[in-house]
Amino acid sequence: MSAERIYRLLLRAYPPDFRAEYGREMVLLFRDQCQESDVRTVGFWARVLWDVVRSAPVLRVEAWREHGRESTRTMEVTMKIAAILTVLVGVFGILNAVIEWSAGGNGTTEHALALVLGVCASALLLAAGVAILRPTERGRQAARLAVVASLVLIVAARLLHPWMSIFAQLVGIGLPVGILIALYWPRRASPSGGVRVH
Amino acid sequence: MVMKRRAGRPPEAYLPLPPATFHILLALADGELHGYAIMKGVAARSEGSVRLGPGTLYGSLKRLLKAGLVEEGDERADPERGDERRRYYRLTPLGLSVVRAEAQRLEAMVRAARRKKLIGVRPA
Repeated sequence: MSAERIYRLLLRAYPPDFRAEYGREMVLLFRDQCQESDVRTVGFWARVLWDVVRSAPVLRVEAWREHGRESTRTMEVTMKIAAILTVLVGVFGILNAVIEWSAGGNGTTEHALALVLGVCASALLLAAGVAILRPTERGRQAARLAVVASLVLIVAARLLHPWMSIFAQLVGIGLPVGILIALYWPRRASPSGGVRVH
Repeated sequence: MVMKRRAGRPPEAYLPLPPATFHILLALADGELHGYAIMKGVAARSEGSVRLGPGTLYGSLKRLLKAGLVEEGDERADPERGDERRRYYRLTPLGLSVVRAEAQRLEAMVRAARRKKLIGVRPA
């Protein structure tokens, strides 16, 4: 196996993005080194290996951190979309309950109570959506509380009024559960902005 | 390590530079160079005490590019090293300010050591 082939194998220790950007240049540099050194000596390969061992893990960690920052940005955008959706669902829930109330419904106490609970749950969802849009830990805590309360109220409304539509149940229960998962999803720290040249 | 370009950061904010980074910037102060020329320049200037392998060199260059201290020049062949096209690198004005600031910092340290007679005097 040629020295260059061995070096190309060693390059796999580096992150793929780094290899794609600098792999060719590194092979060229290695070729230059081979022309001016004796590749059959242990010292030469010890230097090559030491360089890979010293630099590859650091670059892997950097690539991993970079990827983490990108994931955090994606999560933040997803949360904004989810928050807007939550606000819209909250508004829609309130309007729907008002329309059903005006239509008269079946007139039972359970139905009226279920409607009131539905309005409260929708208002809490709306508040949760607004809280998520505030990118603070306090906002996230408030959103969690509001979503849990909304979920409890929707379940109570469903128990009081078993004829609740499948769509309303899916939205009323599925959305808060999804939002709760997203709110409890571990977050990486934001880029610190520290400047280190190493 | 992580480097980030910060608008309006003074050159001193990048100090102290690690020895390998300082040597790379010092080599590029001569003008546009490709990777192997940087490596040779560093080895010659440090009298062989600093030997940069391809991984260390390109890892450092990647960070320096990201920090805006170095920029890429044209890609062209080096007539002395065959007809393969090579990427050239050069200092940015910020990179030049940073390497100057680091040199001044080191000079001040050497002066302090000299005042304490740690260097520049013959041992008795």
